Amino acid sequence: MRPDVLEICLIAGVCTWGFRFLPTRFDLDRLAPHGLAARLLNALGPAAIAALFVTGAAPELARPWAAQGPLAAGVLGTALTWAVSRSVVLATLAGSAAYGLILALAG
Amino acid sequence: MSSEKLSIADGLRAAVPIALGYFPIAFSFGVAATRSGLGMVEATALSVIVFAGAAQFLAVALIASGVPVLVAAFTLVAMNVRHLLYGPVLMRRAGADASRASAWAWAFALTDEVFGAALGALARGRRFSEPFMVALGFSAYAAWVAGTVVGAWAGAGALDRWPALAGALGFMLSALFLALLLSMMQRRQIPLILAAGLGTVLGGWLGSSTLGLFAGMGAGALVGVLGSGWRDAA
Repeated sequence: MRPDVLEICLIAGVCTWGFRFLPTRFDLDRLAPHGLAARLLNALGPAAIAALFVTGAAPELARPWAAQGPLAAGVLGTALTWAVSRSVVLATLAGSAAYGLILALAG
Repeated sequence: MSSEKLSIADGLRAAVPIALGYFPIAFSFGVAATRSGLGMVEATALSVIVFAGAAQFLAVALIASGVPVLVAAFTLVAMNVRHLLYGPVLMRRAGADASRASAWAWAFALTDEVFGAALGALARGRRFSEPFMVALGFSAYAAWVAGTVVGAWAGAGALDRWPALAGALGFMLSALFLALLLSMMQRRQIPLILAAGLGTVLGGWLGSSTLGLFAGMGAGALVGVLGSGWRDAA
């Protein structure tokens, strides 16, 4: 293994671990329950998940309408399975299967 | 709210869609890394030590283009700054009595998807536990490292014969985020979610997907703070 690649791995790895770990040590007990920081932290969770979903789906949305059948099937399959089962795991697997099925039928 | 603590089994169950989504992406990473001239050990080391998907793909491009080590390393570091937010958001939701003794270990695996899955479980009324976080995070990690090794070993074209399977696996993480969003969403949060989506699209259009993520999180959080969506948001 080249030393410069190892160096890049170590710097990026240690800093990323620090970003993930050190903020878990913050003392959040002193935050006022309805203060700005508490409200911000509460709102950031769903905002982050929505942003991550859109980031993943955006390349699909950039395709022509005619090629969006798999995405539509995947989204519908996920939502319907969630509505019926209330299981995140099942909804994820069903949505993914619906995507693959329509892709196979279209291909 | 149910007081049942999240268990190791819950962590393993929650990791199934993440592992299924991670494996093919890590596989692609292994292929891309070896195609760009990295050895199998180097590709695997990136996954073992860094464990951050987008940053690893960028690392391959930077290493292949021969940029100076420090420039490459700190470009990757900059890509992962968003992870600063995940710990406080998660621990805020976990509550004041939640143990953090093993956080140095499970936080290593606190990726976007692991964060989302953990937050979703807490939003559905379960209590935080560190064994759950370890099981969830390190199952995802194992899938990521395994996918990298297999990808680096198999080389390009291994999934080309099954495009529907490749497509379905590629959609897995998007489906996971959608399911998590549905599991924690309440009507009053719809403006927050829409603002996050719009901010992500605009940021991605104007800059990069990383900028889009920041813009989406910022726009959603701003609407959440100003509006009523914050009360039960996380």
